[in-house]
This record gives sequence, C-alpha cells and structure tokens, in this order.
Amino acid sequence: MILSRRHFIAAALAASTWPAYAAKVAQGLFITDPAKPLAAIDIRDNQGQPAGVATWRGKPTLVNLWASWCLPCVAELPALDRLKPMIEPEGLRVIALCLDRSGAVGAVNTYARLGIKNLAVHVDHERKAGEAFGVAVLPTTLLLDAQAQEVARFVGGAAWDGPESLALLRALIAGKKLEAAMGPPLVKPTANP
Amino acid sequence: MKLGSLMLAGALALAALPAQAQEFSGRFLLETHDGKRVNDESFKGKVRMMAFGYTFCPDVCPTALSTMAAALDLLGPQRAEQVVPLFVTVDPKRDTRVQLKDYMSAFGPSFIGLTGTVQMTDAAARSFRVRYEIHQPADKDSDHYVVDHSAGIFIMDRNGGFAAKLGHTANAEDVADRLRQVIDGESK
Repeated sequence: MILSRRHFIAAALAASTWPAYAAKVAQGLFITDPAKPLAAIDIRDNQGQPAGVATWRGKPTLVNLWASWCLPCVAELPALDRLKPMIEPEGLRVIALCLDRSGAVGAVNTYARLGIKNLAVHVDHERKAGEAFGVAVLPTTLLLDAQAQEVARFVGGAAWDGPESLALLRALIAGKKLEAAMGPPLVKPTANP
Repeated sequence: MKLGSLMLAGALALAALPAQAQEFSGRFLLETHDGKRVNDESFKGKVRMMAFGYTFCPDVCPTALSTMAAALDLLGPQRAEQVVPLFVTVDPKRDTRVQLKDYMSAFGPSFIGLTGTVQMTDAAARSFRVRYEIHQPADKDSDHYVVDHSAGIFIMDRNGGFAAKLGHTANAEDVADRLRQVIDGESK
C-alpha cells in the first residue's frame, strides 16, 4: 500500500506532534497501488455456506470489516445498510464482514439491535481476516475492483451513504483511478450506539 | 578502607535497584471484572498474556484482543489453558466492571478484564512502562474523549517475570510462538 502525499504529510505531522509511545493510526482513504489480490480466506454466510472472495468477482465490491465489540464499527453499520440498496443497482456489491468470535450469532444480534434490513451476514469463519487483509484497526473498509483486487482502503468510520462516499464509489464502479483526495470525511460516533 | 568501599558499592547497588524496579516491575494491584481484588502474584503458575487499552474506542479500535484470542486458538487447548489473558483498562472511568465483563466475553471465557481506581491503573501502567494520556473532550459530551496508549502485548512467565513484549503489528502466530516458547521452555 502506498500512502498518498497528502496522507503521508498528515501522518508525518501527526507523528511529529504525537509522543513516540502513542499508538497513532493514520485514518482516511489510502490508495493501494498496485492493486492487490485479496487473500482467499474462509468467509461464510449465516447458513454456514461459503460466501467469500471467490464469489465477489465480476463487479466491484466494498468490504467493511467490523465487530460487535467495536463501537465505531457498529455506529457506521446503519449508513452501510442504507447505502446497499442505493448503490447495488448501480453495480457495486456491499459486504459487511463480521470478525466476531461468535460468528453469525454476533452479527445477527447486532443487526437485530440496530434494525439492519439490507446487509447480509458474512462472517470471518476462521478469524483470519485481520491478518490476511493486513487490518490492524477496525473499522476498515476495503474497496475491490471487479477482479476482487484491493484498489483502496478506508481506515476509520465514514457516512457511507453521504455524497462524498457516493462519488467515490461511483468512480470505483466506473473503473476510474481512485485518489486519496476522494475519501469521504471521517465520522466519529458521538454516542454509544 | 576496603570495607568502606565495599559498603559504598553495596549502598549504590541498593540505590540502583528501586530505579530498575521502577522501569519495569510488572507489579499490579487491580480488580477483575467480577470484582475480585488481584495482584501479579494471584496468577502464579500461569503464563500471562497482557494488554493495556480501553473498550470505548472513539474512532478506531485496535485488534490486539482478537490477536490474543487467535493466538490462544493456535496454541490448542492443552497449552492455552496454561495461559491467562489479561486486559487492563487505562480508562477506568468509562470502563465499568459490567462493560469490561461484556467486552471480555467477545474474546473468550478465559479473558479477564482488570480495572481499579485511577491511582491503581496508573500504578499498574507505570510498572509496565505503559504510558497513556487522556485528552480533553472535543465536545460538550464529557464522555467522548480520546485516550492514547502504548499498544502491545506483554508475555510474562509463570512467576510474573517479563518474557516478551510484542508490538501492535504482531500477528497471532508471532504471539503464539512466543507463548509456546515460554510454556514449553518452563515445563522442560
């Protein structure tokens, strides 16, 4: 993954003002250049059937990694749920991949609590997504091209159904080259969802 | 004269000891998520895998506890049961026992959340040389503030002695390898 100049400067500034001991993670949109094939890990649906990377080829895909213990992840799920019916007819697959150890149970309970209607259940069956995809913090959202290659990733929470996000995702659908400046603004939850 | 210099050397050595102990003692006195008061000696006989953090991550959440859980899975049940995974909150104000208990349950039944007063958690963090800083709330909601902390996973031997510290980029296999070394090295 190559950091864009803008993010590199931001990260360098953050690092210079931040104490060396702090675990500061750069957030925002990062372009993955060159595009990187996504590792084929074991992902299942709520029936325990394979629903992984091999089934995502053919059209661009957004893969949001989340867990029920991660408050900012849970906070952005409703926006993803609203996004799915808006963008899927335009040609983007929307996947919410749950990293809970309890598997589908954790995902289903969280969906019920939040009133999620559109997102399907996808679980990281062998709990390898974090490592296999190189994700050290949640939420992280991967943007894949039609060959299931990662072309960008967004670290942190976003209003996925907002105008900036829609513009970014439409560029992905159109096969345009993404740029770091296209990232939607970061959203921080203001209350415990 | 000779005795005098020996005594002086002895005094210097003694004076140096507390400074070293202050650097990394691995000592703590905290309360578990079930309200039991514990210290580093309470887990004698078990290899400890320990992380500091907080459950209320305002923007992004580290996956250290997931890594710890995955490392235990990799060890298999026989070795995993010789390890006690501990999580010390550096945000005791928001991380109540109920909140900690609920959070720990997401990672596995053996995970123990540790909390205490601000003074107790301060002392524990100091003895592991973990530094953290609570930032002033960015808005009027006083519960919405950011805590920086030095991420990493500590591995301590069965006597509570330091064995390893793995950085926040360590993966489950790295952690499992170090745990295996400590478990098997000691049982030989």
